Amino acid sequence: MTAPPRPAAASASAPGPGASRPDADRPDTSRPGTARFSPARLAWLRSPVVLGVPAAAIAAGVAVLLVIGSGATPAEAGQALADGMFGTDYAIGVSFNGVAVLMLIAVGFSVAHRVGLVNVGGEGQLCLGALAGTAVGVKLGDGLPRALGTPLVLAAGFAAGALWAGIAAYLKVRRGTSEVITTLLLNFVGIGLVSLAVHEEALLRQPVTSSETLPQSEPVASSGRLPLLDAATSPATIAIVVAVASALVVAVVLRHTATGLRLKAAGRSAPAARRAGLPVGRLEGGALAVAGGFAGLAGAVLVATAPYVLDEGLSSGYGFAGLVVGLLARGSLTAVAAVALLLGFLVSGGINLQIAAGVPASTVQVAQSVLVVCIAGAMRWTAARPGGGAR
Amino acid sequence: MSPVSDLLSGGVHLALPVLLAASGELISERAGVLNLSLEGMMLTGAFASVAGALQSGDATVGVLCGVAAAVLFAALQAVLSVTLRADQVVVGIAANALALGATTYGSRVMLGDDRNATVPSFDELPVPGLSDIPYVGPALFAHTALGYAALALVAVIGLAASRRTGLGLAVDAAGEDAETADRSGLPVRGIRYACVLLAGLTAGLGGAQLALSEVHAFTDNMTAGIGYLAVVAVIAGRWRALPTALACVFFGIAQALQFTAPALGVDLPVAVLVMSPYVIALLAVSGLVGRSRAPACLTVPFARTG
Amino acid sequence: MSAVPSLTWRAPRARPAPEPFRGGAAPDEARSSGADRADATVTLELEGLTKAFGATPALDAASLRVRAGTVHCVLGENGAGKSTLCNLVFGAHSPDAGTMRLYGEPYAPQRPADALAAGVAMVHQHFSLVPTMTVAENLLLGTGLRLRPPRRELLGELDAVADTYGLSLDPDARVDALPVGIRQQVEIVKCLLRKPRLLLLDEPTGVLDPAQIESLMATCRRIAEAGHAVVLVTHKLAEVARAGDEATVLRGGRVVGGGPLAGIAQSDLVAMMVGRRVAELDPLLAAGLGLEGARPEGVGPEGSGADESAVDAAPDGGGPPAPGATVPAAAAATSAGAPRAAALAVRGLTVRRPDGTTALDAVSLTVARGEILGVAGVEGNGQSELGAVLAGSLRARSGSVELDGHDITAAPPARRTRLGLGVVPEDRLHEGCIGELSVAENLFLARLADFRRYGLLDRRALNRAADEVVAAHAIRTEDSRAPMRTLSGGNQQKVVLARELALDPLVCLVASQPTRGLDIGAVGAVVTRLRDAAARGCGILLISSELSELLAVADRIVVMYRGRALGPVRTGEPGARERLGRLMTGADA
Repeated sequence: MTAPPRPAAASASAPGPGASRPDADRPDTSRPGTARFSPARLAWLRSPVVLGVPAAAIAAGVAVLLVIGSGATPAEAGQALADGMFGTDYAIGVSFNGVAVLMLIAVGFSVAHRVGLVNVGGEGQLCLGALAGTAVGVKLGDGLPRALGTPLVLAAGFAAGALWAGIAAYLKVRRGTSEVITTLLLNFVGIGLVSLAVHEEALLRQPVTSSETLPQSEPVASSGRLPLLDAATSPATIAIVVAVASALVVAVVLRHTATGLRLKAAGRSAPAARRAGLPVGRLEGGALAVAGGFAGLAGAVLVATAPYVLDEGLSSGYGFAGLVVGLLARGSLTAVAAVALLLGFLVSGGINLQIAAGVPASTVQVAQSVLVVCIAGAMRWTAARPGGGAR
Repeated sequence: MSPVSDLLSGGVHLALPVLLAASGELISERAGVLNLSLEGMMLTGAFASVAGALQSGDATVGVLCGVAAAVLFAALQAVLSVTLRADQVVVGIAANALALGATTYGSRVMLGDDRNATVPSFDELPVPGLSDIPYVGPALFAHTALGYAALALVAVIGLAASRRTGLGLAVDAAGEDAETADRSGLPVRGIRYACVLLAGLTAGLGGAQLALSEVHAFTDNMTAGIGYLAVVAVIAGRWRALPTALACVFFGIAQALQFTAPALGVDLPVAVLVMSPYVIALLAVSGLVGRSRAPACLTVPFARTG
Repeated sequence: MSAVPSLTWRAPRARPAPEPFRGGAAPDEARSSGADRADATVTLELEGLTKAFGATPALDAASLRVRAGTVHCVLGENGAGKSTLCNLVFGAHSPDAGTMRLYGEPYAPQRPADALAAGVAMVHQHFSLVPTMTVAENLLLGTGLRLRPPRRELLGELDAVADTYGLSLDPDARVDALPVGIRQQVEIVKCLLRKPRLLLLDEPTGVLDPAQIESLMATCRRIAEAGHAVVLVTHKLAEVARAGDEATVLRGGRVVGGGPLAGIAQSDLVAMMVGRRVAELDPLLAAGLGLEGARPEGVGPEGSGADESAVDAAPDGGGPPAPGATVPAAAAATSAGAPRAAALAVRGLTVRRPDGTTALDAVSLTVARGEILGVAGVEGNGQSELGAVLAGSLRARSGSVELDGHDITAAPPARRTRLGLGVVPEDRLHEGCIGELSVAENLFLARLADFRRYGLLDRRALNRAADEVVAAHAIRTEDSRAPMRTLSGGNQQKVVLARELALDPLVCLVASQPTRGLDIGAVGAVVTRLRDAAARGCGILLISSELSELLAVADRIVVMYRGRALGPVRTGEPGARERLGRLMTGADA
């Protein structure tokens, strides 16, 4: 009935950096006499990479329009963006720190995703992880070696995030409540808890000495902070190493262990997995808790990175961005790394866009969400296998 | 006026934008589409209504602009989640980011010079006599023209959504069992499109109400999560009209408590009040307070196989 | 065309009728004039209809004609393309090639709404009713998008349907609280309210008892007599004999024969369906097709012979193992202690459904080692729950279950498996296996710990072990690494059986509807495996709604009726079939 939809992006090649690429597939379909839309012939078109290019082109096109609309030239803006992303060692370092946070959340998301759960609660779990990390971090003595202090802060974050997700896991396993809804709600409670903690002296607020005292915590003790990769030139911490290591470990567990296969089995068919004697409830609950743990770890990483304090704006949407990374990567940890890199660098580039070119930083946010919308919209197309009649 | 009366009145006024958005979202979720993008729709509605009111100098034109923009925005959600069958959670979150970015950009570029200009807006029109009734009067009979229209619209939607009407039946069928609805000759996708657009309409109106009746201005991210709150109200109301409305009013009162708490002699940290709606919704949805069941096809896209 | 009652109960885009119902007069009116034209009018004409899902054609250039005033049977095995044909006519699928004509006019429905508007209605195999709505609300769904649904008119029309067809319903009952038989009536009434010119019924008798089937067939005849056409899709010949005027036989998506039923012998129909001579058929398979009642001469002697040998193989349980078969260690150990060891003993099992009705009512039964105990009954009388309780996926309210002397009443599935209980679940794709995992992964999911190397999963060893099983059980797949969903239903069932029969120890196997949806060859393979396992000393509880199949395979049969286990009846006894039939309808209860 309906011809397979062409990727919408291919025809709408907006002016922009990526505009020349989408034409690559044209000769294939315009050749007379060849079978149109034969599934095998067009299978390569379903590759996420092929779709990513036109999607990026559209996003870039929108960005260019917004840049022009705000009175700057695309060249200026591009320069500012690039400077913000890669221009200096400092910029690169900041970007990598952001990438690490996104990656950790998305890695956790992938674990839950494998057992068929959607963890929308990264933001709240991150908040709880940051809370716990701060609570431990401000109490650490300065004499403590870093090799002990930093892992303590990170472990506290992981545990708190896992516990927070554990609430949703409990409700899912025991009461069958949809984890999408509970984790979503727990986000707002988590954000509220951070706000509560930094406003109340009895909790984590720094001692109020004047009316100018900011509602934030005391700084984490130096023994609890994340070491820098290269202290001389860049603010990049070992967070990126932690994130990459986490991704590797998770990838191996999911792909090459019995546990990974059990998670997959429980995710694809809980009744069949139960029939085979697998502890489905424990697998689901465990996976969701681990997902929360990684998000909590990300929160601890944030407070263990300069400026080492907990405040209300700490997360600034990392949880949601990490969720988007996880959803777009769809269980592939290679894709998690790639998408986190892309989004992480774009965000830090956007800040410089405003400073250097006078273009509102929200331009990057718009472009980024257009990109996500395009990819989400084309997801069915990439997921569809020839002959696979998925409902 | 007494603090209690203030609280009630303030609560209803704060609840009204949420109530509007929740009424459309209730229908949409019962038809099977979860619009996390409600937040973005409201923000879009608020921005466009202020922009329209400033350009035209007329608040009513502003409202129309706000609604039109929000419906257009909802159309994006509809195309993605109904036709393209994209993941509704991703689309919702991305759409919110898009709306936040776009309105922030827009207010820099378009409203930049008019930032401090007076926005043509609606004035309160207290109903003589009725608005003097203790407690209830200020809450129900001291709204702007837009506010009264909003209340009426919510009432109509609430009634139309019941299973006593053919429309309500069709909507529930699409959300409970899309395949059966299709085999019964109902246009499932059409119903879902209409419901998402309706959610856009009410959310846009809610945004306009917020901007033109309450705040009289546009500020960056001025909805600050009340779109999510509307989604939460539907969940806490367990997908039924009256409980959803009550949840909205309750959330409004919790917000109003932030301002009236000192007068009432209550000393609660603001953060606790901000969190409370979500905790209540969590209790409701986890079955600790009553039983709850989401529409069976909520967030499940519909397509005939083959 | 004027003879056809106008469609007043129609799809949304049709003009709104001021008076949605016309009462019961229309069918009468149509009957008189429709009868004259019965032979002249072709209601539905399909020409070269083709539909492929992926690479495999489900329907391949099928052509057929359905005349007004007739019941037209579409016959074929599972997978022959019958449902696809229905879905094409109903607009749920679109054909890749070919044309359809309805009353001579081109007909190309894009969606079910188009079909309904054109006067085509369909009774779906798995129903199309919203479970959380009442009967009346479900019936009103067809009235389209209006503010005020015509409730009062509906009640009037329901009375008319009750008068005409003898189908009366409680409009305020919630559908999910109704038994399946009633749900099907709701589904049929939903179609009748639309006054269809053409009614499609897709395998409508699977969930009905003999009396209900009888009345459904009578309803079909009455609809046909009213001048409309009925297309009855089925794989059971008995139904055809009762109600059909003409038949079309499908095999592998192609039309392989057909014509007026009066001119075709049943044996020829079967030969067309399965592509083999009836005489060559295993009598068991013939039984599965419902050939029992009118079994042609060629089959009888061989059939009864095989039946007897099946019974003889394990008369009292614990019969001598077949030569060469290895007796499981556990079986040998227990049979030494007790001469007639019970593999499975169920006592006083009671289960309530979530809606409060009783699913199982103090059910007691014993499966001896080496015995095949059949569980018969019309679906919905507690068989599913019995299977679920024994599998450990449903908790009993009271009663006990003992496996080989071990109390497993509250044991989780894993413990049951360890103690030697194999389970072939009713819902193969949902519970039996996981479509996205490979054949190898499905085979060894419960035993992954055996394939560990340096803490990682040793996939090479896993696949090697799976290859052996695939070869031993003649499972047709490209590769043991192929995803389970790429296998045919029969081969999926072979995988499930292979996994469960490989348990060590294997004391008892509970098989729920193991042959449902399988083609003839696969049914044979499954049954052979079950018989072999019994011969090796395993007790087998075989739950099936195919009575004929049970008669051919089981030693004893109990009948589930309203949650109670009636019987048992020995299959060797004279008059066993009649006695079972009476038990199934509650006549002997």
